[in-house]
Amino acid sequence: MARAVIRRLVFGLIAVIGVVTLAFVLEFVVPGDPAKAIAPRAQSPAVLASIRAQLHLNQPVIVQFADYFGNLLRGNLGTSYVQHQPVASLIGPRLLTTGALALAGVVAEVIMGSALGILATLYGRVRALVGAINLTLLAVPIFVLGLVLLLVFGFRLGIAPVTGGAGAAQLALPALTLGLIGAPWYAQIVADQMQDSLASSYVRTAVSKGLSDAYILRRHVLRNVLSPAITMIGLDLGAYLSGVVTVEVVFVWPGIGLLAVNALHDLDRPIVMGTVIVGAVAVVFFNLVADVARMFVDPRTREEL
Amino acid sequence: MTTGPPGLPRLAGLAGETPHAPALEISGLTVRYGQVLAVADACLTVEAGQVVALIGETGSGKTSLALAAARLLPRSAAVTGLITIAGYEVSGLTASDFRRMRAGLVGCIAQDAMAALNPVVPVGRQVGEVFAVHAGMDRRQAAGAAVAALAQVEIRRPAAVARLYPHQLSGGMRQRVMIAMAMALSPPLIVADEPTKALDVSTQAEILGLIGELRARMHSGFLWITHDMGVVAELADRAAVMYAGRIVEIGQVEQIFDAPAHPYTLGLLQTRRDLRSGPAGAPLFQIPGSPPAHGSERAGCPFLPRCSRSTQVCAEVNPGLVPAGASGHLSACHHPASAADATAVTA
Repeated sequence: MARAVIRRLVFGLIAVIGVVTLAFVLEFVVPGDPAKAIAPRAQSPAVLASIRAQLHLNQPVIVQFADYFGNLLRGNLGTSYVQHQPVASLIGPRLLTTGALALAGVVAEVIMGSALGILATLYGRVRALVGAINLTLLAVPIFVLGLVLLLVFGFRLGIAPVTGGAGAAQLALPALTLGLIGAPWYAQIVADQMQDSLASSYVRTAVSKGLSDAYILRRHVLRNVLSPAITMIGLDLGAYLSGVVTVEVVFVWPGIGLLAVNALHDLDRPIVMGTVIVGAVAVVFFNLVADVARMFVDPRTREEL
Repeated sequence: MTTGPPGLPRLAGLAGETPHAPALEISGLTVRYGQVLAVADACLTVEAGQVVALIGETGSGKTSLALAAARLLPRSAAVTGLITIAGYEVSGLTASDFRRMRAGLVGCIAQDAMAALNPVVPVGRQVGEVFAVHAGMDRRQAAGAAVAALAQVEIRRPAAVARLYPHQLSGGMRQRVMIAMAMALSPPLIVADEPTKALDVSTQAEILGLIGELRARMHSGFLWITHDMGVVAELADRAAVMYAGRIVEIGQVEQIFDAPAHPYTLGLLQTRRDLRSGPAGAPLFQIPGSPPAHGSERAGCPFLPRCSRSTQVCAEVNPGLVPAGASGHLSACHHPASAADATAVTA
């Protein structure tokens, strides 16, 4: 198992390097001059040229990349063009706020999705209703849902803050938005897996042993639902940690997504690169965590990993 | 059997009250899935300690019959008729009443043990559940009882095997685990659905030997679904042949093999004889035509379209089971095979 984990880590590292390279190349495809973004009112070409020289922007791309990569290997993410602070110290706190949002969002979507999936499987009468709810949630664009929630709970009912910020009270609505958008996927997975499991031969065996329905559900059915759900939780945590841009913008949640959007706008390349790297590492890391967690839940995956 | 099934106070006097009750008695058993008639008016008795083989093609209703006898069919199946296990009429019990006593009355051995065992639960715990739920044992006692049960089915190093998952065991081991589970509470009846089908020949022989031993020790009756005439000959006391949802012939295994009365049984045996001793290269005997799609309910004999002996009466009257020769041998045919026909096939 340790060997498998190491192998996955190596592959993950390769993936991260690939993403870094791709992101670096992309920045040069995006039109715009960072020097102009830094000093928008500077008219004199001499000033712009000195900014470019200062940032080594006049060197060949390959040299710039080598410089960046060398710094990265030393753990240095560079300095923001605009905010003149180390990128790491800008991203650090954002990682915490986005992490809180990602965690709350995953908890919300898992709870709501599992509840919907279990209800739809066990009670035939609500199956159509759950299907309709799932379809509606899948069809609603995330920013529309966010704005509606903000309007209803924030402005109309006044029970949620509308000012933005990173407090616990401000976390509720963005987490609910993430939860509602993600819930249908979990509902579907849980319902599918439960139906498969309930129709399986091993559940018939459990019935033949005279076990109660509740016991069979708890000990035999739900255990088999866990494994695919864990994979999806890993994917979601990774994706959300790389920045939930729409939600963070709608609710002015000061996370990585918001930071990345502003940095893109400012052509602040070091910050954009920093957020891309954090996102890539998060995806790789949580996939690995999910795989390891699955090995504990489903012994069959211990061999295939 | 000297004691009643554990954990079932209501059955405490079971062995004492009805020492000679058959393991299973079913009468008038009919199973429908919506419009489809899967089993029609089946009557069958499995005496204690006896193995009754249920033979027939795929779709003949043998699995439906066996699962109905164990009350394992889904709720969507409509089951009518009387089912009595070890003297207890279980067909009239509510689902929850039957659930509490079922493990002490009937054990089930499935065809594909890989699918019939939960892939994410160690096998020891799967066996132990039976004891935990029905014998009132705590977790540790149940685990100990499970190891003992695994030892009973001749699994070496049972304590280590108990901690393994189904995919880590060989096919034969998995089937042993199934058997340990089914026989955990020494139930008077075991329903076995081709338990040796997925196994290689030598493992098959081991499992058959094991079941024979356990049967002698526990005196359980077996309802044994199979396609394999070799298994029937080796293990079964009686055999029931099913066709299109009906039992068309039933009798002692020797009677069925030596003096088959129903043309369908005759055809089955002829196919087998060709396989074993027919001239090499010669085409195998086939019963012409194919079975009706799921228990047709038209008048007349269901085997009529495939039968070479049919006459007018076969098209009009569905034959019931009537004595055919020796006692206990019944067949449902207007024109049962003669001894000469039978000798031609079984010689």
